This record gives sequence, structure tokens and C-alpha cells, in this order.
Amino acid sequence: MPPDTTTGTAGASRAAIELIDIRKAFGAAGGETTYAVDRMNLTIKAGEFFTFLGPSGCGKTTTLRMIAGFEEPTSGRLLLDGKEVTGVPAHQRNVNTVFQSYALFPHLTVSENVGFGLSVKGVAKDEIRQRVQAALESVHMGHAVDRKPSALSGGQQQRVALARALINRPSVLLLDEPFGALDLKLRREMQMEVKEMQRKLGITFIFVTHDQEEALTMSDRIAVMNNGTVQQVGGPADIYERPANRFTAGFIGDMNLIDARVLGRSDDRLTVEAAGGRFEMPCTLPVQAGDPCTLAIRPEALHFVEGEAGGTIRFAGTVSGAVYIGTDTVYGLTLADGTRLHARLRNGDGRPTPQTGEPGTLACAPAAIRLLTQ
Amino acid sequence: MTAARRGNLVTLALLAPSLLSAILLLVIPILIVIAFSFAEQDTYGGAKFGFTLTSYRELFQSIYLPIFVNSLQLAAVSTLVCLLVGYPIAYFIALRAGRYAGILLALLLIPFWIDFIVRMSAWMVLLGRNGTINSALLGLGFIEQPIRMIGTYPAVLVGMLYAFLPTTVLPIHAALNGLDRRLLEAADDLGATPLQSFWRVTFPLSLPGVMAAILFVFVPAMGVYAIPVLLGGGKSIILGNLIVQLFLDFRNIPLGAAVSVVLLAISSVIIVCYMRVLRSVEEARA
Repeated sequence: MPPDTTTGTAGASRAAIELIDIRKAFGAAGGETTYAVDRMNLTIKAGEFFTFLGPSGCGKTTTLRMIAGFEEPTSGRLLLDGKEVTGVPAHQRNVNTVFQSYALFPHLTVSENVGFGLSVKGVAKDEIRQRVQAALESVHMGHAVDRKPSALSGGQQQRVALARALINRPSVLLLDEPFGALDLKLRREMQMEVKEMQRKLGITFIFVTHDQEEALTMSDRIAVMNNGTVQQVGGPADIYERPANRFTAGFIGDMNLIDARVLGRSDDRLTVEAAGGRFEMPCTLPVQAGDPCTLAIRPEALHFVEGEAGGTIRFAGTVSGAVYIGTDTVYGLTLADGTRLHARLRNGDGRPTPQTGEPGTLACAPAAIRLLTQ
Repeated sequence: MTAARRGNLVTLALLAPSLLSAILLLVIPILIVIAFSFAEQDTYGGAKFGFTLTSYRELFQSIYLPIFVNSLQLAAVSTLVCLLVGYPIAYFIALRAGRYAGILLALLLIPFWIDFIVRMSAWMVLLGRNGTINSALLGLGFIEQPIRMIGTYPAVLVGMLYAFLPTTVLPIHAALNGLDRRLLEAADDLGATPLQSFWRVTFPLSLPGVMAAILFVFVPAMGVYAIPVLLGGGKSIILGNLIVQLFLDFRNIPLGAAVSVVLLAISSVIIVCYMRVLRSVEEARA
């Protein structure tokens, strides 16, 4: 498929999708309406690889289905390329979907499947044949034109589904957990290919997944969702390194979450009580003495120390276990008040490490701690 | 006794009741009919068993040809009418009725717990000269004279439609109900209008159900007897009432049996050919 020159990075600041105060009710339980998606406000830029990430039932698929036009929002407005599409049926939106289960037409051949979108729009047969061939070759399926979908493997069906969507040159491509049914190796391969394809075509890709690793490796930006609301929007590094709340911190990667309370503050320094100890750290959040908060620390930011090392945050306890996982070893440490921490340390860096059952002290730099207020 | 042999005996014992009833009620009667078709007619309307092809020779005279044509035509037109009415009903119940689907299916089936002749009598009352429909139309002033409905071809078709509607709707409903809705979303997503979705996705995928419905209507419709007599006044002779007339009025048992055997043969050939076609359609799809 030739790259579309009208979109791409040049128009990156243009909005492809705007979700304005979108709500989607799904049934009322005991008079109280529950929302699959609640008050969502998002702008997705043209040419962006945008991912909705969250656990099952968080509303990510519902959001995608509203963009596709399969479901209408209960309230709010949806703009596609700056035009209001609320109430416009799916077949009139310039958006195509790669379905979770591929949804290939079982009675049509691979080429008839891929040509379906062009055929219903009345494109000439010769042009359809050429474009189908090109689309199939771009996903390395040029050999399978006359096969039925049932004769293809899951990975091949996936490629055909991609070709069937992309041949229509949509302004936005929606992908609903497209790799869920593939084995790990194939999934990695497809991730790379899809990412590469998006870069080449410059089409806006909106991707839905519950796999945080997939989201981090593929996306330009990620919206972390839970219970129908967006928890945080940002680039992979923002989301990973600067989680905005306890949910994001716990959902993305491994994280030690420690309940804490603010004792007092002076200018930009905060005194916090947590796990039976007191810590001082820099903080610019508008918190006051008495506020509950959470300390979030990545396991890889912690290391064992002996004696006094100034300027670090320290947690003393008993080593409760060690699990060897190849390059690293994960240690568990139980603190005096019962709080459990885990630390991920690189193997073979020569530093002494305590044995299970021995007392140990884990430490990290104050900057490695993230203070969360919600 | 080996375990395998005991297993076979148990299977046989369990199958015995249905095998026996099939042999007694299906195979033997068919054999009797076949035997009669080769018998000779005696002077007093009985049959002398033997082997003669007299009946078959008589049957292939040209006066019987229109009767076969009539029957095939009635079966074909009835099948077409049943499909035209039944498909939209099946479609609505399977794809649009939502939680009312069960109730609608039940409503369609419940009348068929009532005896066939009673239901046909009800149609005679409805369609009769002083029947419900005529009274209503007269009362409302739409017509001045009662319309003659009983004894017309459309009345026969109404009866056929009513009799075979469930056997049309059920297989089509089953095919549509099993349709993966995501395929319709995919068609919608790819820019197909609802009409295009129907002709390119829904209808082709419901074809196995349509083909089954055709078989279930066409074959029994070839042998109908009561409906054309009661609602059509028995005006055009078809195979069903030809057989009855030959047996009861003309007392020509061998010829009646021969007509039955030919009807059976035609139906069997249709079923076998049809199954072949169906299988090749399904293979092409897989």
C-alpha cells in the first residue's frame, strides 16, 4: 500500500478524534445508573499511535466501539477529523476496525474479504484486484488470495484482517486487542509489524489492550483506564516513571505501594510517616499535614545497604525470600509493621546480599519515590 | 461372550423399539404398496398379487402427465410463497426481536398442536362466503358482494403457507440465529449499507437454512391432499387426491399404489440430489 501523504507527522498537531464529555450508561442496577465510560475527555492527534490500556471491564472496548460507530454514547460529543459524528452510522465513518476475533467473512475468499470495503463502495473490479493484491502483499499474504479464512492460521487471519481494514485508507484504524489469540512469539512479531506499518502509513492507530508491555512498546501515548474513567494520559515513559495515581502505579509494571501519611511540610520538603518510619522527601504536590498518601517505589530502584548511608530513604526488616529470575533476583523484605517490599537486583554485580531470614535494609534515593495522593 | 459382543447386543436391545416400529410402520407398509403396484386388478375392485407392469404402463399415458405437472407446480409455488413470507419472519425473530424472540417462536408453533383438519376447517370458516373475512369487509363497507375465496388457487396457497410456515421459519431461524453478529459489524465497519450487509453477508450465510426449508416444504407439498380439497374445492387434480380417488372411487388399487410408488421415487430422487448439492455448497464454503 502506498503511504498516504496527506496525513502523517506533518499534520501531527491536528486532532483525529475528540471525545467530549462522553458517557455510556449500561443498564441501571437498583435505580442507580452505572457507566461503562464516564465523562471521558480526550483528544487523539492525527498520525498518533494511541492506546487505551486497562483491565477487562474498564470501558476501553466500549470507547473503541463508540468511535467505530457500533455504539452511541449516552451523552457527550464525538468528533472525527473535526466533524461531529455522533449519530452517524458506522458505515458512513471513515474509520476501520481490526476485530479481536478478526471477524473475517467465512463464505468469502481472502481476496473477497479484503476487497469487501472497496466492492460495497462500487470501485471498479480491475482497481479492486490491483489494490487487494497490493494490500495482501504488504501483509505478506499475497500467496493466499483464493483461500477461505478457515484454511488460515490465527496469525494469517490477523494479517488478512489488517489488510481488509487498511485497504480502505481510513483516517483512523481501530484495533481491539488484535493479538490476544496469538502465541507470544507471533504476538511480538505482529507488534513490530503493526508499529512499523503505522509509522509508514502515518494513519492514526487506536489500540486497545490489557497488556501493559504491549502498550508501552507500541504506543506514542497511552490512556490508562479503570472503571470507565481515564486515570492518566501520557507517553510510555510518563506513565511508567510518573504514574499519577495508585491505580496506574499498580497497573503498570511492578511497584511497591506503601500507605503513608503526611506529617508536615516546609517549603518543598515533606515529612511523611510510612511503615513505622519517618521520611523526608522533596515534593511539590499541594498536600498538607494529616493527608493520607501512598509511596510508590519501583523494585529496581531499591538496593541493600549496610550501615549508615546519608541522604537515602531506608527500610529495615527481615528478608523473607529470594527468587532467581535470570538476569535479576527478586528479594522480599518484611518490615517491622508487616509491610512487605520487594526489590529487584541485578545478579553478579558483586554487592553482598543478605540470606533469607537475615535482617536487611533496603534503600533508595528520595527522587526514586513517587508520592501519590489518590 | 466378549465385551464387544455384549456391547453390540446392548446397542441392539436399546435400538429394538425404534427399529421395530420403523419396520412395522414404515418399511412394511411401503413394501405392501410396492407389491400392490405390481398386482393385477380383479373384476370386483380387489387386487390379485402377481407381477405385472400393467399399472405402470397405464400411468405413463399422457392423461396423467398434467397431474404430475400440477403437483410439481403447486409444490414449487407453495415453497416460493413460504420462503417469501417465512424468511422475513425468521429474520425478524432471529435478529431484531431481542428478548421477545422466544415468545414469537412459541406463538408460531402453538397453533400446530391443534389437529390439522380442525385448523383447515378454521380457514374454511374464515374464507367462506359468509365467513369472518367477508362479514368484516361487508360490515366495514369495503365490498358490496361477498368475495369468493374458497375454491380459488390463492385460498389453496394460503392454506399451504399456513401449513408449512413453521417448517420454513425454523431452519432459517436456526441459520440466522447462529450468525456471528460481529460479521455484521465488520460489514458495517467496511462501509456496507444495511441492504448491502444483508445481501453480501446475512443472506449467503443463511443459505443452508433456506435450502433445508425448501426441502422441508417442497417434498411434503408434493403429496398434499386435504388442503387443495378443502380450500381449493378439489378442482385441479394433484397427486394426493389422484391417489385417494384411485383407491376409494375407482377401486383401482394397483394403479393407486403405482402412483404412490412414483411419488415416493420422485421425492427420493429430489432429496438425494438436493443433499448432494447441499454438501458441495458446504464444502465450497469450508
